[in-house]
Amino acid sequence: MVSFIIRRLISAVLVLFAISVMVFLIFFATPGVDPAARIAGRSASPAVVAAVRASFGLNRPLPIRYLLMMEHLFIKRDLTSYVNPNTPVIPQILRAAPVTLSLVLGAALIWLLIGVLGGVVAAANRGKFIDPLIMFVGIAAVSVPAYWLGEVVNYFTQSRFHSSVFSWVPSSGYVSITTSPVQWALHLVFPWLTLAALYAGIYARVLRAELVNALNEDYVRTARAKGLSERRILVRHALRCSLVALVSLFGLDFGALIGGAALLTEVVMGLPGIGQLTYNALQSLDLPVIMGCVMYAAFFVVFANAVVDVLYALLDPRVRVA
Amino acid sequence: MLRNQLTRRIGVPLAALAMSILGVVAVAPGSPAGASTSYQSAHAGGTLKLLATQGSGTLDPQVNYTLQYWQLYQATYDGLVSFQKVSDAASFQVVPDLAVAMPKVTNGGKTYTFVLRKGIKFSNGAPVTVNDVRSSLQRIFKVSNPNSGSWYNVIVGGPACVTTPATCTLNGGVVVNAATNTVTINLITPDAEFLDQLAVPFGSILPSTAPTKDAGSVPIPGTGAYKFKSYNSSTGIVMVRNPYFKVWSAAAQPQGYPNEIDMNFGATVESEVTAVQNGQGDWVYDPLPSDRLQALSTTYAKQLHVHSLTANWYLPMNVNIAPFNNLKARQALNYAIDKNAAIKLFGGKLLADPTCTILPPGFPGHVPYCAYNKGSGSTYNGPDLAKAKALVAASGTKGDAVAIVVINDSVNSAVGQYVQSVLNSIGYKATVKPLSSNIQFTYIQNTKNKVQISLSQWYQDYPAASDFVKVLLSCSEFHPASDNSINMSGFCNKSLDAKMNTAETLELTNPTAANALWGQIDQQMMSKYAPWVPLFNPKQLDFVSKRVGNYQFSRQFYMYVDQLWVK
Repeated sequence: MVSFIIRRLISAVLVLFAISVMVFLIFFATPGVDPAARIAGRSASPAVVAAVRASFGLNRPLPIRYLLMMEHLFIKRDLTSYVNPNTPVIPQILRAAPVTLSLVLGAALIWLLIGVLGGVVAAANRGKFIDPLIMFVGIAAVSVPAYWLGEVVNYFTQSRFHSSVFSWVPSSGYVSITTSPVQWALHLVFPWLTLAALYAGIYARVLRAELVNALNEDYVRTARAKGLSERRILVRHALRCSLVALVSLFGLDFGALIGGAALLTEVVMGLPGIGQLTYNALQSLDLPVIMGCVMYAAFFVVFANAVVDVLYALLDPRVRVA
Repeated sequence: MLRNQLTRRIGVPLAALAMSILGVVAVAPGSPAGASTSYQSAHAGGTLKLLATQGSGTLDPQVNYTLQYWQLYQATYDGLVSFQKVSDAASFQVVPDLAVAMPKVTNGGKTYTFVLRKGIKFSNGAPVTVNDVRSSLQRIFKVSNPNSGSWYNVIVGGPACVTTPATCTLNGGVVVNAATNTVTINLITPDAEFLDQLAVPFGSILPSTAPTKDAGSVPIPGTGAYKFKSYNSSTGIVMVRNPYFKVWSAAAQPQGYPNEIDMNFGATVESEVTAVQNGQGDWVYDPLPSDRLQALSTTYAKQLHVHSLTANWYLPMNVNIAPFNNLKARQALNYAIDKNAAIKLFGGKLLADPTCTILPPGFPGHVPYCAYNKGSGSTYNGPDLAKAKALVAASGTKGDAVAIVVINDSVNSAVGQYVQSVLNSIGYKATVKPLSSNIQFTYIQNTKNKVQISLSQWYQDYPAASDFVKVLLSCSEFHPASDNSINMSGFCNKSLDAKMNTAETLELTNPTAANALWGQIDQQMMSKYAPWVPLFNPKQLDFVSKRVGNYQFSRQFYMYVDQLWVK
């Protein structure tokens, strides 16, 4: 078991290394991307470009530049942005992380609540009108892209009905929970709902399918034979088993979202989280920030995967030799 | 000049928009020049909330080269001289700022002597001394200012500073005398634009204690009516009143109105517009989205302000590779393009004017002229497809493949597709190559990418003809195989270069004659060589909140943020 965990961690580190090399190489292979030309500014003379190139160490060979960047990112931890000099990358990520965490935690609560409730109600009412209705709403929520839904929500809350029903909605942005818990929640209500819509839809559908399977299992028949109520069977027996699939799904989704997969919601809702930081860094081709964000996101995804794998191995010995 | 986003105007021609903007145009220029009128303290106070989708890099005034921050520097930093802070055309005038008067120019235009004002303090309380002036001029090189190698290297000692910035002294170039409070700047050659170059934010006077490298997000104290309190490149900027500021010249640095000026980042442009509509924000920096223009121009007409810009949208053609290495092919496209069609794609004729010249109207040296026109006349009448087709046939380039490289946003792509259709109609096999706005500008400059034709924009740095003609089309600005080669056409003509040098020299003694010569160069460039297809001169559209008053527009730095009333 220990050797499995070690192997799994080594492969996680290798994946992170490969990702960092790819980001680095793709960046420098893109034509028109020369950071020195961009930093030096429009119509800078060749001598100025050369001076800038030297001061940013961009005249050194590619592998050296890669190693230096990794040294600044992971060992010295003082990597600074190309576009905003003197702005270290790591504090930017640390500042953005609570925003993303606030968004994803709140949204996760909502989608778990709605998803589980929807899945259970649909499974319990198989064949009745309400089941396809919930499943239809679920598929609609899954199909609507977050950037579109977000803009529509913005349109109704900030513009169309802002003077009437939604006058309490503050303008888009973020207020930290330590500044004002009420404002924090008010600013995040609609971003939470927007982000939660997609996942609530997925979770409701997944859970319903799992429940329907579980309800056909032998142990459910046994429970029924024992004379337990349908409600007790559904909640205490079928749901408990079905939640296992949901939990592993949740682990991966949560990891990816914390890592920046909520990018679209953050950009549309004006939340300065990891997603928006990544988006802006891509917009301005700021390699150090892109690298920092990608490594941060990759860490969460790879780490979440590794944890899930290790947990699976603990549960199922067959996985350990695979 | 670099704009954070090079595409400033987006739109679909709408009759309603046109009608209502006509009304706006009648309103906007009528606003009084507040800096020249007396200060109205009843309107002082409050917090002005500016909105931008994102920040624009370093806050260092000697490094940042974007309109977004140059606009804010007007209220925070001063040079020895600066552009006059009044509305419209007079804003192109350079006036003394930290200097008592305009400098005494001697030694055949090579020596500038300034007398520094006494009693002015930086926002950290330190007095402004001649040593600060010297260190600020050295600092231009130490921080590798974008134009240190193209503007400021005219100072004696400048070229050495460009190659080894760290040890820059400008010995013999900048001589200060603390007893007489004078600063003498010696130039290698006379330079008629030197004062313009000192008047832009790069020439800001900063404390000698300022870091000798790009200060990035750490604000440097200045002398303006405001100081930067905080800067976070992902959330925003806060500017508050400079406690040490007293008006010494309202034309150079007037007292501002709001107590605090915030610029918040992070929202999409759509939410910014909504916030201004709702009164949660006061002004949108970014180009207004096309789908909102109609609503804005009908419901919020009084809050919109339209102003002509000295800027150009143009199609640079690469004169060194086929088919545009053939003059007739370049002339053919000049005849074939319907500039009004491009303007329609840009947002309609009230957001831009067609142009046939390199210099924009209202700019020194500009002469109304149109070499490639339907019929004759100095104003643009429309395309002449018959002539265009004949020229393509005569050039022998018919059937050549042409790729036009454009930014991938809606307006640039639409104009690109229009140019593609024109190229096809005169006998080429054209394709559009859309690229991310972050890459396109440097991509089209590099000869290694073999770009035949592209769509680009140029916004003035300061009002001098050379800033268009020489910067964009002289031999010295063409650097093969570099992402920094602003002469995208790769155009290099020795005799026109010589004329440009003559015109620059003439500017020192006879500006009128010099401007006439720049006008001739512009005409010759277009009629004999046609390295570009000039398309149109865009206009600036500002949307402010209902509570904002005293809107004033500088042709040099656009809206004066500090002159707005929020009370």
